[in-house]
Amino acid sequence: MAKLYVQAVPTTDLNRNTEWFTYPGVWTIYILILFFSWLVVLSVFGCSPGMAWTIVHLSHFVVTYQFFHWKKGTPFAEDQGVYNRLTWWEQIENGKQLTRNRKFLTVVPVVLYLIASHTTDYQHPMLFFNTLAVFILVVAKFPHMHKVRIFGINADQ
Amino acid sequence: MIKIPYLTALTTLFSYGLLFVFGQLRDFFRKIIDWWSHNKLQGYAPICLGLEDFYIRRLYLRIQDCFNRPISSPPDAWFDVVERISNDYNKTLKRTTKVSRCLNLGSYNYLGFASADEYCTPRVIESLKRFSPSTCSTRVDGGTTVLHAELEECVANFVGKPAALVFGMGYVTNSAILPVITGKGGLIISDSLNHNSIVNGARGSRATVRVFQHNTPHHLEKVLREQIAEGQPRTHRPWKKIFVVVEGIYSMEGELCKLPEIVAICKKYKAFVYLDEAHSIGAVGQTGRGVCELLGVDTADVDIMMGTFTKSFGSCGGYIAGSKELIKYLKYTCPAHLYATSISPPSAQQIISSIKVILGEDGSKRGAQKLARIRDNGNFFRAELQKMGFEVLGDNDSPVMPIMLYNPSKIPAFSRECLKRNVAVVTVAFPATPLLLARARICVSAAHSREDLIKALEVISTVGDLVGIKYFPAEPEKQESRIKFE
Repeated sequence: MAKLYVQAVPTTDLNRNTEWFTYPGVWTIYILILFFSWLVVLSVFGCSPGMAWTIVHLSHFVVTYQFFHWKKGTPFAEDQGVYNRLTWWEQIENGKQLTRNRKFLTVVPVVLYLIASHTTDYQHPMLFFNTLAVFILVVAKFPHMHKVRIFGINADQ
Repeated sequence: MIKIPYLTALTTLFSYGLLFVFGQLRDFFRKIIDWWSHNKLQGYAPICLGLEDFYIRRLYLRIQDCFNRPISSPPDAWFDVVERISNDYNKTLKRTTKVSRCLNLGSYNYLGFASADEYCTPRVIESLKRFSPSTCSTRVDGGTTVLHAELEECVANFVGKPAALVFGMGYVTNSAILPVITGKGGLIISDSLNHNSIVNGARGSRATVRVFQHNTPHHLEKVLREQIAEGQPRTHRPWKKIFVVVEGIYSMEGELCKLPEIVAICKKYKAFVYLDEAHSIGAVGQTGRGVCELLGVDTADVDIMMGTFTKSFGSCGGYIAGSKELIKYLKYTCPAHLYATSISPPSAQQIISSIKVILGEDGSKRGAQKLARIRDNGNFFRAELQKMGFEVLGDNDSPVMPIMLYNPSKIPAFSRECLKRNVAVVTVAFPATPLLLARARICVSAAHSREDLIKALEVISTVGDLVGIKYFPAEPEKQESRIKFE
């Protein structure tokens, strides 16, 4: 297979925590990791495909909620803490809303939800947990929720 | 423009994801274990807030032996690297008494002034005896000697500006000058890949900072038009001053700045140009006068020229060159001039002597020879590396050439394998470079001979095959016709 080359265009984003998301290959690797984790769950637990998708969907919910909407700041100290009050979701692309990356990240949990509920034949209790997970994730990504902390949860001291 | 093979981009992202996941798992278990153990804080707040030091603890410390290597000789073409050992998986490193003699591909020793020089060193020793190692004072109190006055005149003549001001440290020059020349109502437009000193100075000036895409003049024009039309934030009044800050050679890319187009745009929109020539002064240009000479830009069009003496002149410190009024103004407002100790006299003498050698005023042709040699060395090395199939960045005539590594595990592999074969390279990773684009930065010097470079090429080729970084197809070797003598 001939080597496909892509251009890495340097961005104007100064925030090193989020500028990696604009480079080529990120969307593909995200989808590939989800697909391979489904295969791994199927092999390890030996459950039905629907159950495996539900497990992938719920662990995706936990992981992305923790790292996109809960953890604040950056994992290094060179930016002197200017982003210490912002979660990763609020930091990407300097807070600009409704960009292509944000739309993609909103669509992925919805697609996972549809796959998980379809393959489990919309049975309870999986349907309840899946719906709750996708509801929380999509609402957290609304433009109106930028820098909003409901009931002071996860607010700073 | 950097071209990544698509598969490499995917595997690099996956590797960083894996490292991140392992780091988080270890932190999670560490938190559980620490919850059980005794709390040593005794009521004081912890130094690091939250996960600020995650990258240092879980990613950087794993490959710590590739950075901060101590050396025990002057950074000439060949130098002594002190070996270090670690008993706890790189958390702490201990120096041993063994040294290994390595080929130096990492120092910014562009013209070879880093080691003893036949013209400069006797004069430096004489000035050390005459003036003592430190002036022990700021410039305004008692720290201005005849050497400082001579140095400023020398630098102003060399760079091609009416006057110059010299400071003891290069980083401080940027971070102390930018807050002085603009204030709250000003606008600083800086290149996205500018050095940390410029970012710090711009942040400290409290002016509005905007960034334009690296070396893209049409994006600079777009940003300028947008900002001039909008005016200051919230009040929309016109900006008091607009500065466009660019560098001569970008040290992580090895690229030259597109200075003629940028100066033309700034003239059109009446913005000031601030040129940081840290890596290009003394190393490029016909007589070593930097990018302005190389690209044919009149120095009167660049309003403020800044540079450092650490790279091509083998000394320490930085300078600002501009009009006489600017330098007069800086002399009574700049904190680095009023409160910081002045540059030490032997260092000043080293700069004066090295400028004399470069210009040929010492009566020999060594300056022109050094400039020709660094140009030849740089072009030869870059061409050979590209022929072997490495991805090398940078323009022709630039002495800095980064070799792309991409994958985080190839960074320590390349560094350690090269050190085993007695070649010392500098590898740079996130967050100094973007996440995907880790690289090994090679700086050639006029002190390297052709044999040194050929040895370096052999080692890098072997290590490149071992580590797997030849991303482009290698050019086939020309088949030489062999005449058989029967």
